[in-house]
Amino acid sequence: MKIVKILAVVACCAVLLALAGCVASTPPVQSGTTVGILYTGFGTMPTLMATKQIDGYIAWQPFVEVAPMAGFGKVLSYTGDLPPDAVWKNHPCCVLAAREDLMARSPDLVNAVTAATILSTRYVNEHQEESGAIVADWLAGKGNFTYGNISVSSVDAMTRAIYTVKFTNEPTDAWENGILKFMAAQRDLGVLKGPLSNSTDDASKALIFDTGPYRAAIQMLEGKRIVTPAPETRQLGIGYLMSDHDTALFVAVKKWQYFNDTYGIALKPRDPTQSKPDLVDLLVNGQKVAEIKLVPGEFGGPLMQLASTDTIQFVLVGNPPAMASIDKGNPVKILMALNTEGSGVVVSSDAPASDWPSFLQWAKERSDAGKPLRIASPGKGSIQDILLSYTLKSSGVTVKEVQV
Amino acid sequence: MRRLSLAFPLLILLAWAAGAHLINNEFILPRLESVAGVLLDPLADRLGTGSLIENALRSIERVGMGFLLAAAVAIPLGIAMARFRRLNDLLDSTIQILRPIPPLAWLPLSLAWFKIGLTSILFIIFLGAFFPILLNTIDGVRGVKRTWIEVASTLGARERQILFRVILPGAAPTIWTGLRVGFGIAWMCVVAAEMLPGTTSGLGYLIMYAFNFGQIQLIIAGMILIGLIGLMIDTLFRKIEAKRFAWRELER
Repeated sequence: MKIVKILAVVACCAVLLALAGCVASTPPVQSGTTVGILYTGFGTMPTLMATKQIDGYIAWQPFVEVAPMAGFGKVLSYTGDLPPDAVWKNHPCCVLAAREDLMARSPDLVNAVTAATILSTRYVNEHQEESGAIVADWLAGKGNFTYGNISVSSVDAMTRAIYTVKFTNEPTDAWENGILKFMAAQRDLGVLKGPLSNSTDDASKALIFDTGPYRAAIQMLEGKRIVTPAPETRQLGIGYLMSDHDTALFVAVKKWQYFNDTYGIALKPRDPTQSKPDLVDLLVNGQKVAEIKLVPGEFGGPLMQLASTDTIQFVLVGNPPAMASIDKGNPVKILMALNTEGSGVVVSSDAPASDWPSFLQWAKERSDAGKPLRIASPGKGSIQDILLSYTLKSSGVTVKEVQV
Repeated sequence: MRRLSLAFPLLILLAWAAGAHLINNEFILPRLESVAGVLLDPLADRLGTGSLIENALRSIERVGMGFLLAAAVAIPLGIAMARFRRLNDLLDSTIQILRPIPPLAWLPLSLAWFKIGLTSILFIIFLGAFFPILLNTIDGVRGVKRTWIEVASTLGARERQILFRVILPGAAPTIWTGLRVGFGIAWMCVVAAEMLPGTTSGLGYLIMYAFNFGQIQLIIAGMILIGLIGLMIDTLFRKIEAKRFAWRELER
C-alpha cells in the first residue's frame, strides 16, 4: 500500500516536471532579433554542437581551432576582429597577478617570476611551432582529441591555435583601458559590489594594477643583471588555467634549461618526465630560491579563491575573475598581460553564416521564425561572455539567457 | 545463478552495440569498440594524465585512506551513541542535518579549510563514508540482544568485557554492512573529490579532465572502470561477510 502511494507521488511529480519543462522550453516571442546565450563551460561545447543543441559557441583556443579540424563547426570570427570598428583589437585577456604581501615581503622574488614569464613570452613569439607542441604536451600529453569519428592531433590543434593568440606582457595604457572596459561590463552585470563598483578610472587602476614588478623585471633584463632573491623557506604556488593563453608558463618550465643557461633564471621541474609538472624550483643565477607548486584550474574563480587564502601566491587567469576577486578584497594585484585576443566565435558547419553581417541575418531569420539562435558561452561574466554580449548588443540584438 | 549474473551485463553490451550502430553518432553513443579500445590499453598515457591503471591505483589509495579514517571515527562514536542515551540526544539532530548534504557541496569549503592536496580529497571521501558506518554501528549495537548482555553481566563480566566480548561481536554483522555501504559511497565520491583544483591524478580527475576536452570515449572508459572496481571491492566485502558472519543466518 505504502509503495503504491509513493509511486503515485513520484508519477505526479514526473508529470508536473514534464509540464514545467514544456512551458519553460517555449521561447517567448519578442520583437527584434533575439539570440539565446547558454552557459555550458568549455568541454561540452563540441558535443552540444555535434548533437545540434547549440548553433554556435564562443570559446578560447584550442576550442576554436578544433571545430573546423574535427568538422563540426567553422570559425565565424576571432575575438580581435569582432565589430564594431575593431574595438576589441588587442583586447586584454589573461593576466599575471600576485599577492600583495609577497610583493612587499620579497619583491626580488616577484620580480624574478615576472622576468621569467617575460623571457618565456618572448621565446613563444620567436618559436611558435615549438611552443604549440609544448602546449599540446602539457595539456594533452601530445595525444589525440577524439570528436565523434574524427581524431585531431593535439599538436596540430595547439600549433594552429598559437598563431591566433597574441602573446605580450607590456601593461600599456591601451591595455589598462581595455581592462577597464571589461570592468565596466562587470559593473553592468552586477558582479562588482565592492570598491570597484563606483570608482573613478584612476582609482580603479590603483586598485587593480601594480606594474612595479614588470618595470623592475625589464630593467633587470636590460641590464643583464638578475638580482638573486633571498631563499624562500615556505612552498609557494602558481595557479594557471588549462589553456594555451598560459603558454608562457608551460614554455618557461619545459625549456628551463635554455632559460637557465642563457639568462640565469628558470623554473626547473622536479620531475622532468611529467607532461604536466606539478612542482618546480625557481632558480636564479644557479641558486635555488623557492619551491613552487603549479596548480591547474578550469576556471579563474576557484584559482582566485586559492590566492585569497594564500594557498597560491601567483595566478595566471582571465582579467574578469581577477577584478571580481580584487573587488571582494582579495589582496592581489595584476602585474602585467600574458596575452591579448585568443578566443573566437564558432558556428555549426552547415550554418548560413560566414561573417558577422551574414551571422546577424541568420540570427534575424531564426528569431523571426520563433527559434532564436542558441550560442554557448563558457560562463557568466567570462571574457568570452562579455565580448559576445557586447558585440551582439552593439549590433542591436537582444541577448537572452536561455532558461532550461 | 552464476550464468544469470553474467547474462544481463552481456545483454546491455549487446544493446549498446546495436544502439550505437543504429544511432550512428559517436557524440551521443560511442561505439563499443571505441570505448573498448581505451579499456583494453590500460597502460597507455591518456591526455598526459597517466594511464588508466595508474589513475585507478591513485583513486583506490585515496578512497581507502578516507574510508579507514571514517571508520576509525564513526565506529567508536556509533558505539558511544548507542550506549549513552545523552550523547545520542546531544548529537543525533546535528548528524541528521549534516547527513543529507552531498559531499560535492563541501568542495568550496574543503578547499578553503584544508587547502589543495590530499587532505581536501580525504575530507570529501570521509564525508561520504562516515554516515552509513555511523548509523549502522548505532543500529548494530542497539540490536544486540539484551539477554546476552544481562547474562554476561550476571556472570560477573565487567563493562570492558561486555563491550569487547558481547556487544562488538554481536553488532559486527551490522557494522560490517555499514562498512560495505560506506565504502560504496566513498568510492562514489571519488569523482567529486578529484574534481578539486590542484588534483593531477585519479579516475575522477581523468573523467573531469576528459570532460574539459569533450572526450566521451575516455569518460565512458573511466566510468566503466569505476564500476568494475566497485564491484570487485563489494564482492570482497560480501565474501568476508559470508565467511565471518554466517552465524547470523543461523541465529534467525
